[in-house]
Amino acid sequence: MGAFDTLRIANTSLGAHQVWLDALADNIANVNTVRSTDQDAFRATYVVLDPRADGGVDVEGFAQSSAEGRMVSAPDNPLADADGYVRMPDTDMSSQMSQLVMAQRGYQASVQVTKTAQDTYTAALQIGAR
Amino acid sequence: MDVVPLSFPSISGTASINPAAAITPSTAVQAPAGTDTEFGSMVLDGLDRLEGLTDKADGLAVQAATGKLENIHDYTIAASEASVASQLTVALRNKGIEAFNEIMRMQV
Repeated sequence: MGAFDTLRIANTSLGAHQVWLDALADNIANVNTVRSTDQDAFRATYVVLDPRADGGVDVEGFAQSSAEGRMVSAPDNPLADADGYVRMPDTDMSSQMSQLVMAQRGYQASVQVTKTAQDTYTAALQIGAR
Repeated sequence: MDVVPLSFPSISGTASINPAAAITPSTAVQAPAGTDTEFGSMVLDGLDRLEGLTDKADGLAVQAATGKLENIHDYTIAASEASVASQLTVALRNKGIEAFNEIMRMQV
């Protein structure tokens, strides 16, 4: 445990939430990405987090939603197959938006941790000051 | 007039009071072995660490300026660390100079 551990831990949290926000941005950007039925649907990315032994959080990896997606009838679409179907990503927009708020709040909370840490260190420097 | 001599009743239990224990001289303050605890080298170590932190923050600032910075918080946190570390080093130096001046003012 070093002198700046609070800052280091908050840094890992900021990094993890940043990755989460990036993944959500990608999922939301591709929510209307249409593929033909002989292709894989867009696969939404989910971030898998892992706690660190010495404090903090790591991005362990990414999980992806099914490539099967959702079959939608859209006979007008140029990508539609003989039966008039296309493949849409199986992404729940309301869930993605909720997660977006959660990730943003988590990021903001970590920023607050860094502020508090800096205030604490500054207070410690005032000990014995004239 | 007769003077009656005063008589004092003996107080019992006074014999149990122990004489004060001999005061042992305090042992001299000893620096922990194996570490360099000289004030000057402690400040120099702090300066070395501070240099590392400011170098890191400077490198990230260059990345930010050239558009290669991946995470904004990497830079802001490195800058915060460097700032607090430099304040700490300056506080150490001020305390050292204060102690030196105090000794110089001593009447001999």
